[in-house]
Amino acid sequence: MRAEPLRLALAAALALWLAMPLIPLAIWSFAHGWRFPALLPGELTLDAWTYALSPASGVLESLGVTIFIGLAVTLLAALVGVPAGRALGLHQFRGRGLVLMLLLAPVILPGIAVALGLHGVFLRLGLTGTVTGVILAHLIPVLPYMTLVMAAVFAGFDTGAEEQARALGARPAQVLWHVTLPAILPGLMTGALFAFLVSWSQYLLTLSIGGGRVQTLPLVLFTFATSGRNDVTGAVAMIYILPGLLILALTTRRLTGRSPVLGPGIGPGTDR
Amino acid sequence: MLRSLALLLCLAAPALAEPADDALKAMTWDQILAEARGDSVTWFMWGGSDQINRYVSDHVAGILARDHGITLNRVGISDAVEAVNIVLVEKEAGITTGGAVDLIWINGENFRSMKQAGLAFCSYTDLLPNNALVNWDNPAIANDFGVPVDGCQVPWNTVQFAFAHDSAVVADPPRSMPALLAWIKANPGRFTYPAPPDFTGSAFVRHVFVHAAGGPEALLGPFDQARFDAVAARTWAILNEIEPHLWRQGRTYPTTIMQLNELFANGEVDFTFNYDPSQFGLAVQAGLYPETVRSFGLTDGTLANTNYTLIPFNAPNKAAAMVVQNLLLSGEEQLHKARPEVWGASPAIELSRTAPEVQAGFAALTGHPSVVPAAELARAALPELQADWLTAIEAGWLAEVGR
Amino acid sequence: MLAPALLVLGGLFLSALGLTFLRSLRYMPAIGLTEPDLAAYAAILSSPDFLAALGLSLWIALASTLISAALALGTALLLRRGFAGRGPLFFLIQVNLTVPHVVGAIGILYLFSQSGFFARLAHAGGLIDRPAEFPALTHDPFAIGIILLYVWKEVPFITLILLARLQAIGTDPEATARSLGATRWQAFAHVLLPMLMPALLAASALVFAFAFGAYEIPLLLGAHAPRALPVLAWQGFTDVDLAARAEAMAMAVIIALVGAAMLLACARLALPAAARDAR
Repeated sequence: MRAEPLRLALAAALALWLAMPLIPLAIWSFAHGWRFPALLPGELTLDAWTYALSPASGVLESLGVTIFIGLAVTLLAALVGVPAGRALGLHQFRGRGLVLMLLLAPVILPGIAVALGLHGVFLRLGLTGTVTGVILAHLIPVLPYMTLVMAAVFAGFDTGAEEQARALGARPAQVLWHVTLPAILPGLMTGALFAFLVSWSQYLLTLSIGGGRVQTLPLVLFTFATSGRNDVTGAVAMIYILPGLLILALTTRRLTGRSPVLGPGIGPGTDR
Repeated sequence: MLRSLALLLCLAAPALAEPADDALKAMTWDQILAEARGDSVTWFMWGGSDQINRYVSDHVAGILARDHGITLNRVGISDAVEAVNIVLVEKEAGITTGGAVDLIWINGENFRSMKQAGLAFCSYTDLLPNNALVNWDNPAIANDFGVPVDGCQVPWNTVQFAFAHDSAVVADPPRSMPALLAWIKANPGRFTYPAPPDFTGSAFVRHVFVHAAGGPEALLGPFDQARFDAVAARTWAILNEIEPHLWRQGRTYPTTIMQLNELFANGEVDFTFNYDPSQFGLAVQAGLYPETVRSFGLTDGTLANTNYTLIPFNAPNKAAAMVVQNLLLSGEEQLHKARPEVWGASPAIELSRTAPEVQAGFAALTGHPSVVPAAELARAALPELQADWLTAIEAGWLAEVGR
Repeated sequence: MLAPALLVLGGLFLSALGLTFLRSLRYMPAIGLTEPDLAAYAAILSSPDFLAALGLSLWIALASTLISAALALGTALLLRRGFAGRGPLFFLIQVNLTVPHVVGAIGILYLFSQSGFFARLAHAGGLIDRPAEFPALTHDPFAIGIILLYVWKEVPFITLILLARLQAIGTDPEATARSLGATRWQAFAHVLLPMLMPALLAASALVFAFAFGAYEIPLLLGAHAPRALPVLAWQGFTDVDLAARAEAMAMAVIIALVGAAMLLACARLALPAAARDAR
């Protein structure tokens, strides 16, 4: 077909463009100095990685903190978002549009508008500088994603199976565990993926609520990026994108090759 | 009966948690050491140098854990003002005990902010045994940018502003401010400085200010509006005159000293500068700068000052923080951090008061070739102006030059 | 069932916004300011720094959104049909979604700065001698680096939304149009494009709001002056001076208003579709 080589060329250009910004980061992480005009670093070393993985840099500790916060936020969002999504997806009710607006608002409104005021609120509650405070703060952008994804999942959900199970005498908990959960699991995994990634990439919210005491990985990365140590920055950046890639790999396979992102067909992208 | 007991417990609880300031100041050093054991210290300090981070997080923290049972938590920040803001906001919210910050690496305007707002823990430094090593008669140490220290902070390093160049690119750099200004005009696009209020950029502007005043003598002492206006007018004229000859024709300035270092490392500009010349040696060792980098001071003098560590008024672990400060002041630690492979920082203590082995250690130190020796810089040292001058100069630059 | 979620969001989100608004009116009873006034707003609206920042942020958002939307449309059409290499491209798009903006921004910096990778390529090719001769694409007054980063991150995002929509639309409408005698271009422009528009516009509204209000990307890639609005706002927020903090709150409110405008636009476009899906 005439268009085929053009299509391939465009696809190749696009692929190159998508991968490009990550490449210098990877190269820098192994460089011992890489000054203009060298196209490749003259000397390679593992110093940056050794430092990044050592306790002195605080990278591994912040990795643990960020993962913990991400998991906690995802869990909370699931607990609250699944029933909310069900209500939204299955039922038409007055004010539904308003609820949708309230859910969309934290996603669309830039974080800075929330972060500045939330700092004052949490200061009163004694939550600034605590991991709990950061978890609650992350819930603001995360919960809407989870709820909206679950709403889309429940929109296509057939309650018939649940009714049948109840008619056969199953208790509500059994219905939930054996009927509902397996049916919504793929969508729930997608929602959890989004939730985790949104929390994973939060910067300003953590900065304002964490008050310097809660050091998540994006904060540490930023400090290194603005301190001129490009080699360490590269290593930390690689560490930072790793969990996202892992999650992507795992969930794609679980969903038998289909992209979890294409699943529900609703919901804005990941890290905002 | 039970209720009054509960009330009593409630009243006693804060006292059980951490001794009140007066009780702390009445303790002996051994009691303070015992009090500090098992505590943690959250130290907010500039985190832009991984060598300094390693020195603190590995070496200092290791000694504290091993010898004193203290856990050191280093929190890296880009500017001490961030820590000041945390404590300030806490004070405004009424948090007078159990704040987030135990120790801050600080000096200058930030110290003045804290002292003026009553945010610092003061009048305790006599308790530190190693305080005897500090020469408090030296006005450069007893005053921080003209503000008397008054026992509110403990010295850590002395620094003096120096310039760096790549000797392979610029064989013979200008060594005085007039020569530098002439060089900038003769070599367009090869020089720039970070925009105030960046700490180092601000310092560079102050050097031009002192040059415009014809020397520091007229500027010492409290802020004088009339004198400021006269000198400022000449300063802005000089800076605006060289602006078109700067990098990017002066249409933009680097925001931080780190950006300037990056420009220097890649040869986009021919000079960088820093309060702590040991940073040049560290950068060469890390491969960031070429090995041909050399540093120098100015014949008409460069600014010298001391930096300190400070305990906030509401620090939850004051005793442990005092132990940390005492350790940092010790002859052994001042010597260790003076080693170029560790940091290369200049000591803030009087070497003649230290143990013979420490003095011998200092004498045997060979500095990094890229770092100009502190003794050489000290031959032409300028005292820091009082903090009010700084704020006025920064505001003036933003209004007159930065637009 | 909806209640806990609404409680959380209402409690946290609305109270945070509310406090931002209150503080912008200089209402801080803790230090004795009990009379709300518009002094902060007056101050910033007459400040050239603020107006320049607002202009810059609007420019960044507009340019990023337009370029991303156009490129995403093309990419979605490209990926519509299967071809060799589609799989790996899909994978790269998904990878792009998981990479946080900060990482991409640092990568763009290392690629496009005057001493970055492309500058070095130019030097190797004999086009330039010194970094200063390479065009200033980062830390520049036109925010080119910032726009490049947003395009890099948002094109995959909008593409996936469009692809989902394309899947739902299917090929029938276009086939019908072609069978009635329309050319390929007419089938696209008059049949497919209008059907894609709501999703495209909704996604663009999201991108606009984000590009307008993001903080860390302009901080990394932006020039010293003028600053992007969120950077200016944060600076004011961390200032020791109380007046500066009130002004920062006022700027945050303005940022929120722009976001709210995008929210309304998105709601008008996307909610009817969501309502349709729910039935």
